[in-house]
Amino acid sequence: MRKLDVRLLRMIKHSKGQFISVTVIVAVALCIYVLFNVTSININDAVDAYYDATNINDIHIQLVKIPGTAVEELKSIPGVKEVQGRVSFDVPLHVEDEEERVSIRIISTPAAGEQINRLYWQSGRPVKVDNNNLILIKQFAEARNIKLGDEITPYINGREHQLTVSGIASSAEFVYLMENEQTLLPVADKFGIAYVSEEFAQSVYGYKSSYNEVLITLKDQANIDDTIEKLEKALDKYGVKRITKLENQLSNSVLDQEINQLEQMSSIIPVMFLMVAAVIIVIMLSRIVANDRMAIGVLKALGYTNFNVLAHYTKYALMIGLAGSVFGIIGGILLSGPMSQVYIFYFNIPFLKANIYYSFIFKAIALTSIFCIASGLLGARKVMNIMPADSMRPEAPKSGKRILLERIGFLWQRLSFSWKMVIRNIMRTKRRFILLVLGMALTYAINVIPLYMGEAMPAMFTLQYQEYQKMDFTVDFTRPMNEDVLIDMNHLIEASKMEPRLEYPFELKNGWYKKAVMVIGVPQNTIFYEFRDPRDNKVRLQDGGLFITEALSKALNVEKGDFVTIKNFVPGKKDIQIKVTGVVKQYLGINAYMDLNAMQDLLVDKEMITGVSVASTDDLKEKLKDVKNIAAVRSSADLQNAFLEYLDTMAIAVNFYLLFGGVLGFAIIYNATIIGISERSMEFASLRVLGFDKRDIYKMISKENIVMTIIAILIGMPLGTSMISGMAESFSSDMITMPVIIAPKIFVYAAIATIFFVAIAQLATRRKIYNLNFIDALKSRIS
Amino acid sequence: MQQNILMQIENLSKTYQMGEVAVKALEETSFELFEGEFVVILGPSGSGKSTLLNILGGMDLPTEGRVLVKGEEITKYNDRKLTAYRRDRVGFVFQFYNLMANLTAKENVELATEMCKNALKIDEVMAAVGLEERKDHFPSQMSGGEQQRVAIARAVAKNPLLLLCDEPTGALDFKTGLLTLSLLHKINRDFNKTVVIITHNAAIGDMADRVIKMRSGKIIEIKENANPIPPERIEW
Repeated sequence: MRKLDVRLLRMIKHSKGQFISVTVIVAVALCIYVLFNVTSININDAVDAYYDATNINDIHIQLVKIPGTAVEELKSIPGVKEVQGRVSFDVPLHVEDEEERVSIRIISTPAAGEQINRLYWQSGRPVKVDNNNLILIKQFAEARNIKLGDEITPYINGREHQLTVSGIASSAEFVYLMENEQTLLPVADKFGIAYVSEEFAQSVYGYKSSYNEVLITLKDQANIDDTIEKLEKALDKYGVKRITKLENQLSNSVLDQEINQLEQMSSIIPVMFLMVAAVIIVIMLSRIVANDRMAIGVLKALGYTNFNVLAHYTKYALMIGLAGSVFGIIGGILLSGPMSQVYIFYFNIPFLKANIYYSFIFKAIALTSIFCIASGLLGARKVMNIMPADSMRPEAPKSGKRILLERIGFLWQRLSFSWKMVIRNIMRTKRRFILLVLGMALTYAINVIPLYMGEAMPAMFTLQYQEYQKMDFTVDFTRPMNEDVLIDMNHLIEASKMEPRLEYPFELKNGWYKKAVMVIGVPQNTIFYEFRDPRDNKVRLQDGGLFITEALSKALNVEKGDFVTIKNFVPGKKDIQIKVTGVVKQYLGINAYMDLNAMQDLLVDKEMITGVSVASTDDLKEKLKDVKNIAAVRSSADLQNAFLEYLDTMAIAVNFYLLFGGVLGFAIIYNATIIGISERSMEFASLRVLGFDKRDIYKMISKENIVMTIIAILIGMPLGTSMISGMAESFSSDMITMPVIIAPKIFVYAAIATIFFVAIAQLATRRKIYNLNFIDALKSRIS
Repeated sequence: MQQNILMQIENLSKTYQMGEVAVKALEETSFELFEGEFVVILGPSGSGKSTLLNILGGMDLPTEGRVLVKGEEITKYNDRKLTAYRRDRVGFVFQFYNLMANLTAKENVELATEMCKNALKIDEVMAAVGLEERKDHFPSQMSGGEQQRVAIARAVAKNPLLLLCDEPTGALDFKTGLLTLSLLHKINRDFNKTVVIITHNAAIGDMADRVIKMRSGKIIEIKENANPIPPERIEW
């Protein structure tokens, strides 16, 4: 080995504390990079394989009623490959606990077996169903501990049907098992899917030889929009409710979002960590180069070129990068298997493909090398300026100027001597000071993120269900009904308030932009819905206007005052142009709101409603469970509880991120202090000779760190605030809008966490100061 | 005796900017160095002798004047050529040895020879300076005299035209200093290297072929020693 490289290795060994602490940051960055990327690809692959294996639909159509013969005719539409009609409806399920409300979606399966959306049988052979049995979806069966041969009792049209579970299977269509967009979270024991024979479904639902859903696969994905247009025309007379592409289907779009989030994190976090590592490397190397001034002079005197010497020090940074890469990548690969498994298990995807993608390893190494070489060159660039002859002479004294604060006489005079020194020390090495403070500010900001998430998640629900939508229950009818039904409802339940609601899926269009959403009609003087514009002012619905949620305004690229087209699927009703009279806040779900009367007149039918919103202390679920024409009763309290449970699992992730912030904070402070000590060993030695003891010096350094930490926290606050906005932005999706919450609590806790990490690093450097040999330091002309 | 000229130094001047003060270190200096010569440059501190040495060694450039080595003007060299000159032609010995603290004695020598074309055999050089036994020790495990011998070995092993020594005995006690001088003397005779020593110690001048006396950046006297005495007999 070249002797210069021997020197490099010994140099690393000598500064192993610093070397390791930066290497850990790089390793964490790469571990996350590899882990998240590989995991997201694995999930993607698993989902694709699952979709292929079960021949998932490309298009899903919901309509009022279509005869079987008409379904067959759809095959003649160009682009259509296969079609399959089915009957699908949600019904309550009778369970032992009278309090508990469980619903189940009954889906018919053709006698000849499914062509599209085939069930996936993880164990056992496919089972045929007749009029006495059904196949249950796996997640639900497991969550409720239902075994083969058990009997379950759905209420269908007011009648109990006892059916035997003859099979348990999975479906690619319901990887993420959620009742509808409003639920947001899968609650596996409250909602399930049951596959029954077509004959049984049609007879109990009163749909002889007819269907209310059509599944379609395409020959060519590219022409999907053309095909959808043709399907729309062909199906108009059957009362099309909604035509959904696979990508917009609930389960698939939630999966996509999860994967996207993972992908986003896989680039944001590593780059942030590498940036911090780069900052530390720059400071560390510029210090090493300054310390090695004379050695560099000797090397040059011996005939080493600038390039040789620069490369020598840059290799130090590169070694950090390589060591970090090796550990990070190994860690990432080792963890990617289990993490993919966790996700795949969580998502209930039966295809586990825990592959390792080597391209990410190369990318990771390339990325790190670039970062490290760049920061190495930047840190060691002073090597170029060292003239061998100059380096042999003692350095010219640093120009000692008065600092600004000293000119403010009355303040300066009040400071004790040691504080004066502390402040001068900080101000005289401005560049180092700025870099360190920025590094610590970043640590602080990283600590803000998980704390913000912890606040925002529950707040999202509290705001949505206590401020914006104040009803206790939402009742959905099985079909649109006349407003008179309110009178019947009032007889059935004790409600302090009740309000009619009309909810219909429509496609909203603005030029190229379109989005199918639930449009909700509520009375103008609604007591349950509170609409607030983005500036948090209350706004009221107007006669002919439309309110859209923030997420929808982005999706359609429209603002207040613009017009949108509502495509009407209701037979006999025309598309309308309507003015957006307001953009309103809504954290969960994506919707549009209209005045109830206007919506009835323009889009549906006079006096029609599809449900009611209720404020009541009554147990509506129990009271309405036997009532005909009630499709579902949703309780805001249940939704909130389910979410709170989910939050417990979130806490783990929050702690994980805090730990990341801690690792960074530690590495930054530890290095800063070590560098500070080596930079000033001569100064400390002089102080020791003058009679300062170890503790005095340690105190002085501690004070410097305290000052820097305070300034860093002050800078970290706006930085954290903008990171919160960025986080809210990147986490928001069609279904969730993360509120930007800037609560003082978040910043206080982040400060406590930062100070804690600083304190740990501070303690770790204590030994270094106590072991500082001041006699050696004074003689340190030998390098 | 007919001597070949190794270096011609013509009208060298050097001005330093030290912080906010300009220091004239060297003024209009001219002389010649011959092959195989043992030269002592004598002067008090601040006389410009270190500056002169640095310029001769290609470590620094003069403000004015020129230096020719075997007819080639090194003061015209660019940085790369100057580095090559230091690498292949010059060996340095510093007052404070300036060894790499984290390399052993032998590694310190190898650090210098690795990049030279016609380096001497390391083991031979280590034997010549009497350090075969100590070659795997780190500088911190050696005495000052031993460290200086490593530094000399490092300079000699490159097989340079010229050995430049900056106060080689300055940090050593009398006895060790004499040993170092006789080692340099031996190298001058045995390896036939031109040796230039700068020192403020007038006694060392007695062993030189020529003594160049400097004061305040100027040469005040060049004295030839008809009968240089062996270093063992020097006293101070």
